[in-house]
Amino acid sequence: MQRSGPRAFPLAYAFIFPAILFLVVFNVYPLLSNVWWSFTNADLTGGPWEWVGGRNYARVFSDAKFAAALRTTAWFTALAVAIELTLGFVLALALKERFRGKTGLLMLLLVPMMMPPAVMGIYWNFLFDGNYGVINQVLTLVGMTSPPQWRTDPSLKLIAILVVDVWMWTPFMLLIALAGLNAIPRHLYEAAEIDRASAWMVFRRITLPLCAPLLVLAALLRSTDALKQFDLVMAITGPNDQATQTLSALLYQVLFGSQRVGLGSAYACVVLVVVIALATAVTRYLDHLAARQGKPT
Amino acid sequence: MIRSLLRGLFIGFYTMLAAFPLAWLAITSLKPVEDTTATTLKLIPWVDFTPTLAAYSQLFAGDFPRYLGSSVVVSLISTVATVALGTCCAYGFSRFPIAGAKDWLFFILSTRFMPPLAVVAPVLVMYRQCDLPNSHLGLIVLYTAFNLSLAVWLMKGFIDEIPRAFEEAALVDGYTRVQAFVRIILPQARTGMAVTAVFCLIAAWNEYGFAMTLNNAAAVTVPTYFAGLQGDVRGVPWPQIAGGVLVFVLPIVVFTVLVRHHLLRGVTFGTVKG
Repeated sequence: MQRSGPRAFPLAYAFIFPAILFLVVFNVYPLLSNVWWSFTNADLTGGPWEWVGGRNYARVFSDAKFAAALRTTAWFTALAVAIELTLGFVLALALKERFRGKTGLLMLLLVPMMMPPAVMGIYWNFLFDGNYGVINQVLTLVGMTSPPQWRTDPSLKLIAILVVDVWMWTPFMLLIALAGLNAIPRHLYEAAEIDRASAWMVFRRITLPLCAPLLVLAALLRSTDALKQFDLVMAITGPNDQATQTLSALLYQVLFGSQRVGLGSAYACVVLVVVIALATAVTRYLDHLAARQGKPT
Repeated sequence: MIRSLLRGLFIGFYTMLAAFPLAWLAITSLKPVEDTTATTLKLIPWVDFTPTLAAYSQLFAGDFPRYLGSSVVVSLISTVATVALGTCCAYGFSRFPIAGAKDWLFFILSTRFMPPLAVVAPVLVMYRQCDLPNSHLGLIVLYTAFNLSLAVWLMKGFIDEIPRAFEEAALVDGYTRVQAFVRIILPQARTGMAVTAVFCLIAAWNEYGFAMTLNNAAAVTVPTYFAGLQGDVRGVPWPQIAGGVLVFVLPIVVFTVLVRHHLLRGVTFGTVKG
């Protein structure tokens, strides 16, 4: 096929330009405007504003709430990804073999992933409730005398959000881990059997290393999502709860609680640096995976 | 023997825990509203409470159909727009030598990682200048932009798999490049477009951050509506919310089952072929 030539170029750009335009307007422009505003004291009402230099940034970095939100987000992301990855992988190991009704069971297990997170947040509040919540009613029924107060105990609020996140996103890990397991060539297991390798050795030397690239990919993709956590926090505790305020919730509070766009933009810029660093890690890794996939195994 | 028993027990236990909240949605949707906040466990219909379909009839007699309509309009139009733009863009990257193609593609992907709350203020100000907040159009355009990265990446994977020989034959036969794209590539890429559409639809259907911050009246979608019912002084209508969620999620479940062979691609941006 003729791959270049004078007429191919404008046509190629005609194909990609509309999509790129959308992304520039809705991603690049907001980013730049965040940077601009972060040096002003603009507010959402659109009134007069002036330059304030680095004062917003000074506030961000001296703000205890920002440090706390950073910690909460980091903890939440680390715990959510670790639990979901482990649980998803163990489930995938258990579900590896074929059996009747496997597709049906998998589809059922995937349903939580399709639920609207914001609505699931308020629904789980209903399940968590101390008086009429079904979770504590069942816990009481099986003999627990003082079931946990999910919604009022500050140390349990983040756990409650984690529980919902694990319920929703473990299937995501399961799906990817299962694909990793199914891609391992059967002859490797046969060879291990001939060598009388122990089950642990087989897991350690075949299953885990061959699954690892996909598990890392799953963990990275899930981390970028967990870092943005907003819907569940908003629904379960509201944006301004000390125990659960993630970076997104803090951004919401600064922008819409106090309407201060200048300060909010400074927060957003700092958050974006973190997000861009992680996004770079993900894209690098995808590139690495694609390069490996290209080679015949 | 013992191992497969343990395995069965583990799967059974997890399935029970994971499926219970879903079953509870169905049970709650059948309860009279006063039974939803009872302090004792009311689990089994006809034994613990008298089941009724009242919640569903109230749901559809109230404001829910209007919000469902908003959700349908916003999600469907943005999905169609995303798939159209994404397919064209993916075709461009798949078939033409574009300078810095890899960097462009990674730029496109990176937009997916942006937290909505970090870009919402500039978007809101921009929308106020164009009179777009409180409108379906505002959400449609925004969802289109935010699903594009997924659509481009998924579609590029699918189009890369269509043999170039098909188009070459068409070009030899006198088709123009655009005709070849429309008549040869698009029919071949139908499955890919359907899969991409399902994933864009799920994202738009469930979206909350933008929907909540940009709209407060005219284009309220279902997630915003239900989430806003929390803390209602007249008490939260749990049976209606439960029934509404089931109605709301049903089409998504059906679509997902239809594209089940491609789920893995969908959740990994097309980088892992199932």
